[in-house]
Amino acid sequence: MKSWPTARQSIFVNNIMEYKPSLPDHNDNVSHDQPVREFVTLFLGITVFLLIAFWTTGLFVDYAVDYISPEMEAKIFSSFNRSKAGVVSAKDPKQAELQRMVDQLRQCIHLSYPLTVHLIDTEQANAMAFPGGRIIVLNGLLNKVTSENGLSFVLAHELAHFIHRDHLRGMGRGIVIAAMAAFVTGPGSDFTQLFAPAVNFNMAQYSQTRESMADKKALEILACFYGHVGGATEFFKAMTPNDKGGKNFLGHYFNSHPEALERIDDLYRLAKEMNFDVKTVNPLNDVLIKN
Amino acid sequence: MEQLIIFAVLLSLGYFFGRRAEKKHYQSIIEREKHLISFPTTSNKTVEHDNREIDHCQLVNGNMVVSVDYFKRILAKLRNFFGGNIQSYETLIDRARREAVLRMKESCPEADMVINLRLDTSSITKGKKNQVGSVEVLAYGTAVYFCK
Repeated sequence: MKSWPTARQSIFVNNIMEYKPSLPDHNDNVSHDQPVREFVTLFLGITVFLLIAFWTTGLFVDYAVDYISPEMEAKIFSSFNRSKAGVVSAKDPKQAELQRMVDQLRQCIHLSYPLTVHLIDTEQANAMAFPGGRIIVLNGLLNKVTSENGLSFVLAHELAHFIHRDHLRGMGRGIVIAAMAAFVTGPGSDFTQLFAPAVNFNMAQYSQTRESMADKKALEILACFYGHVGGATEFFKAMTPNDKGGKNFLGHYFNSHPEALERIDDLYRLAKEMNFDVKTVNPLNDVLIKN
Repeated sequence: MEQLIIFAVLLSLGYFFGRRAEKKHYQSIIEREKHLISFPTTSNKTVEHDNREIDHCQLVNGNMVVSVDYFKRILAKLRNFFGGNIQSYETLIDRARREAVLRMKESCPEADMVINLRLDTSSITKGKKNQVGSVEVLAYGTAVYFCK
């Protein structure tokens, strides 16, 4: 390779400008900060901002929910088409029996909702409260509970959600958070994953509180209807995983529902506090046992 | 949860491999810059104050396409919330610029000097979603060969 003139022999040496080749000692075009530190600072900043934003908008949702009367809610959601997947026929005896139980339990509460029970034929065991006064019962539930009281507790729990308007609160929060996430990070962005823990934690903590409140109310409904709270823990006992050693400590904070064992303990504690008796439970209606 | 783990893995892979590549590249840049330090390269349009006769001129160029790693991309996105200096892209552009100039110089080892040096930057994946952003830096100039 050819050698070029050095500074002394430079082509400009006899004139106004001298060419002085040198490398800068310090690269001023790049920052020399720690990228990880920057990442952590920014991430924590946004997370805190989001937690505050979700909490505040949650309060607005609660405020708005108080203005939606059950009649208005029924009108809004009656026009929504719902999936027919797995729904049993309207004349199904099991569904009719569940509807009868709900109507009976309603005597203990003041609720102006028109409530309808929908039974879904699936192995899963669960029950849900949906806007528009719909209680969805998944068929697997009927295999998990062994007494009428146990089933009544689960139904009463869903009734409690309607009393507390939790279905609207949960849905309102879901809409607000989805809208905010889409607005901030863009829809379907992998970037959204980064803030999923903050969102989930917020939702889970809120949901767990509402579930505990519903459990308490359900206990009251059960005590009102049967005069005792026998069978209240039946469903949770059936749902408790056998391997008690494998408890997920971190996951607990992100669950929408409190852990089954914890709920059982809470129910015992509440029953004791409110002086509710535990007596013999009624057997499950034959219609519900048949497959 | 699984998605979060994948995300974290991508992030750390981006960080460690990106960092390693950057370190190696900078070492190479500095070494080559030292070697080529006395090659006169200016942005002047003409050869000034030189009495030597010019034999011939030649257009020379060097370019580099640089891409961001996952970690830097996410860091830049985080920075978008608050605004300010996107530090994570600085080294990337700096590397591309210096590499492009070096490649240009290396393309004409027999030249006496390069005048009229210009640098152009263009974004290759501009505005396309879900694509890794990459930037091209093109360095071009006129290589001057004096008569022997």
